Amino acid sequence: MKQGFDIASLVDELEPVRPLRIGRAILAVGAIVVSAMALIILSRGVRADVMAGEPDPMFLIRGGLLLLLGSGCGWAVLGMASPSVGKPAQAWKMAIAAAALVPLAALVVAMTGRTEVAMANMLYGLDCMASSGIGALAVAVPMVLWLRRGAPTSPERAGWLTGVASGGLGAFAYGLHCPFNDLVYIGLWYSLAVGICAVLGRLVVPKLIRW
Amino acid sequence: MIANEESLRRLMRLSQTGDKQAYAVLLEQCGRWLGRYFRQKIAADAIDDLVQETLISLHRKRASYDPARPFLPWLAAIARYRWVDRLRQGYRNHAEALEHNDVSEDSHEEVVAARISIDRLLDLIPDAQATAIRCVKIEGLSITETCQRTGQSEALVKVNIHRGLKKLSVLVESE
Repeated sequence: MKQGFDIASLVDELEPVRPLRIGRAILAVGAIVVSAMALIILSRGVRADVMAGEPDPMFLIRGGLLLLLGSGCGWAVLGMASPSVGKPAQAWKMAIAAAALVPLAALVVAMTGRTEVAMANMLYGLDCMASSGIGALAVAVPMVLWLRRGAPTSPERAGWLTGVASGGLGAFAYGLHCPFNDLVYIGLWYSLAVGICAVLGRLVVPKLIRW
Repeated sequence: MIANEESLRRLMRLSQTGDKQAYAVLLEQCGRWLGRYFRQKIAADAIDDLVQETLISLHRKRASYDPARPFLPWLAAIARYRWVDRLRQGYRNHAEALEHNDVSEDSHEEVVAARISIDRLLDLIPDAQATAIRCVKIEGLSITETCQRTGQSEALVKVNIHRGLKKLSVLVESE
């Protein structure tokens, strides 16, 4: 027996707690994403085609996939705070598989030599990646706070998924401004943004989770 | 008396509202349940420590229990996490063989217990990895003894333990 362990002391420490409700976390994350979108619109402006009410199909596909990626992985992250045997979330795998089509397709297109737009706009790409990253950082804050309150049984996976989810949602918010529709550009810079966020999430988030 | 899912769930709900009397009963019942849950899954003299660690985690993380969901799968997830964490710390001791594992008594509870058991978790990883973990981490055999028993090389035993524990840590909530 460990020295000093006493059930009575745990009972004495008991305070009422509010059970974690995933709805509250979803609202918090959603509010941050909407705020990030508003900031992008106010500071950088909206894409011309969206302003004109005729969005390019690539904009819609990109935005849809990023939203799917961010929300699918985000749902898994928030759910990890309340563990239960028999409840492992699987939707994030589908979301990642769907989103992975973009860099794969971009790779195929790049191999055919159609890389002019991506190569000619490296600075825009870096800006795109950095802005998405800033948005991702903001989105990651409520996720990490939620995980710290909860009991994630796989902190490493929680870290990966927090990075992917926040990266996806941050890139989704920035996508309102990003004027590029080129597949290679999107496959390169958006994938880098999400990938870097995922690695940072894996490295940082487990250290922030306390049991 | 062995507490069942419904009574534990009711006690946990009351505990979340700050009912100390219910909480004392809950911790006592959970302590017993965990003692049986961990039996034969770790060295006998480590069970008390592991039960206590799990009860402390229950205490710290009690807000993470969703009252709308079953209680035992939640407790089992925390118990499995603590168990894998303990194995990963490199604990080695000889386990005493015990004849039976009576986590619960009635048949419905047995089905639930089987789904959330540690054996079920070990079934989810490759046999070679589970065997290496059982031999070294649970039974406390040396690497050499494990090689002799399993026919795996020394390097393979170490790799299987490492990979197996890594897999277990992401499978904690699987059934």
